[in-house]
Amino acid sequence: MQTIVYILPELFLSAAIMFLLMLGVFIKKSFKLVSLLTILSLVFAIALILNQPNEIIKIFNESYIIDRLSIFMKVLTLSFCCFVLLSSKDYVKSNNIDKIEYPIIILASTLGMILMIGAYDLIIFYLGLELQSLCLYILASFKREDEKSTEAGLKYFVLSALASGLLLYGCSLIYGFTGSTNFEIISANLDEANMGAVFGIVFIIVGLAFKVSAVPFHMWTPDVYEGSPTSVTSFFALVPKIAALSVFIRFMYVPFINVISQWQSIIIFLSIASMILGAVAAIGQSNIKRLMAYSSIGHMGYALAGIAAGTNSGIQSTIIYLVIYLVMNLGAFGCIFMMKRENIFYEDINELSGLSKNHPMLALSFLIILFSLAGIPPLAGFFAKFYVFMAVIEVKMYALAVIGLVTTVVSAFYYLRIIKIIYFDKPKRPFAKSYDWGLKISLILSSILVLIYFIYPSILVDAVSSILIY
Amino acid sequence: MLAHSLFFYFFSTVAVFASIMVTVSRNTVYSVFFLILVFISISILFIMIGAEFLGMIMLIVYVGAVAILFLFVVMMLNITEQITKRPIRKGFINNISVGSIVGVIIFLELLVAVGGWKYKGTFVSLSDINLNLAISNTHALGNVLYTDYIHLFQISGMILLVAMIGAITLTFSKRENIKRQSYFNQIQREKDSAVSLVEVESGKGVKLDD
Repeated sequence: MQTIVYILPELFLSAAIMFLLMLGVFIKKSFKLVSLLTILSLVFAIALILNQPNEIIKIFNESYIIDRLSIFMKVLTLSFCCFVLLSSKDYVKSNNIDKIEYPIIILASTLGMILMIGAYDLIIFYLGLELQSLCLYILASFKREDEKSTEAGLKYFVLSALASGLLLYGCSLIYGFTGSTNFEIISANLDEANMGAVFGIVFIIVGLAFKVSAVPFHMWTPDVYEGSPTSVTSFFALVPKIAALSVFIRFMYVPFINVISQWQSIIIFLSIASMILGAVAAIGQSNIKRLMAYSSIGHMGYALAGIAAGTNSGIQSTIIYLVIYLVMNLGAFGCIFMMKRENIFYEDINELSGLSKNHPMLALSFLIILFSLAGIPPLAGFFAKFYVFMAVIEVKMYALAVIGLVTTVVSAFYYLRIIKIIYFDKPKRPFAKSYDWGLKISLILSSILVLIYFIYPSILVDAVSSILIY
Repeated sequence: MLAHSLFFYFFSTVAVFASIMVTVSRNTVYSVFFLILVFISISILFIMIGAEFLGMIMLIVYVGAVAILFLFVVMMLNITEQITKRPIRKGFINNISVGSIVGVIIFLELLVAVGGWKYKGTFVSLSDINLNLAISNTHALGNVLYTDYIHLFQISGMILLVAMIGAITLTFSKRENIKRQSYFNQIQREKDSAVSLVEVESGKGVKLDD
């Protein structure tokens, strides 16, 4: 009975999925009701998670953990899932993907991510991963009369299945060479001499790098981001990254901590490659969703740099980076959802030209978010990068920090290019006025948070500083 | 013991015979039926060595689902040209060399695997494993599946639910203009609304409403 109390959020989410499915089947045309109830159940699940005790608890034969990291990441996942649903309501409606399955599948994938975040055992981690990626395949191809969406779904399915296969191979090697699937026992049995297990770590890193779309396992990202409906793209860019990075941190710092010298150089390579590709490849893009895809690859590179540091402050900087990245991307996708004329949503960057004349407020918030994405002080994006570089310099990885700084400068070019188009190019026809309060709230909230973060940065820093892994 | 060996040899012979027939049978539909026969005999062999859970899963999954799926696929293919007067299937002679090489390799691999396992110095015999022989296979599996691994079992159920929702969402489409059966409406119809007398001019015909 004691255990049931600790998995209440997960149980509640599963029950909500089944209940909403039945509700949607028996009440005709109930998309609005179902999506409203989905958001409510996400909020309720956040309350349940926040209600959990502030100590480390391991349940189900120590295969599921509740600690500061998992609680923080779970709350982050659920709340950003809420915001994505709120901000994409209008888009979903005008693109005829307002079927009741849409919010239910999002809810199911969130359940999968929460299980991943709490996993303390290879099997439960893998099941959570499969639950969330199965939902993501469906979401990517949700607009099934659209060729690009179908292609995106198929591409993501094939590549992700391959990555899952590699990950599973790594898991089996780890299990074979350490004798357990439990993270702590793996950690106890793992050392540099255990070559087979070290070999397995490489495969696990490949699978995880695919999930966070780090170079060289990023190939699917631009195509899937471009092809999927924008509401799904915003979900892809925000929510799965939280779970994937959280699992990345958990894997590197609990079971694999003894062989840090083996995986550190791999993570450094992934980080540097992602930063460089994210900065260079986005320059030529004209589709804003593709651009956001490359931008997210670059940002994941910075987040991985914090993990590579191998210290508690490194992990904390990664988590802060993740939070600020999420806020910025929520705002950026909010702006993309605003690019609408007569029920058609535009994705070309040139459609933004002269936005400042027609929509000064929208242009201003886009400006703030883009400056922040570029990492220009005193906006939040600057602080995110600052913490990561501090953590990296603390352990004397100067090369990583220098490359990160250089790529920041390079990537500022394409963010500034959008600002130039918005402010200095000839105005086009104005976009339609949006009356969607969910979208407006998300956009305003993220712009304001990005803008005023520098006034009181210690809120986030204090919240994160209690997350200690080892 | 005699009956046991009799059953074993009978079902093994059936399995070997049927699997040969799967490859040489001229009619593809027959091949699938022979495949089902192979599955059934193998599942009986499993049951005979005491692995009744595996045997039943074999029946349910392979015969109940996979083989029927094959049957549907085969029935959708155009196989009329294959059923000709030729004694053996087309391409049999051409591919037999490659096929037999692969077969020999697999046989040798089996020999290595089984030999390495059977004659290993530290071979663990059945009596060394702490097995409770009083309970059946299914019972033993259930004992761990519904206690220690209940969370994993439930998550797997969730994954299957999502797969089902996904398959339906991505393939089901509501089609308009389909005349569906409705007993209520069909019986409720009266002569006045259903039948009308029309005077047909010669050479013009009547336009029926679609």
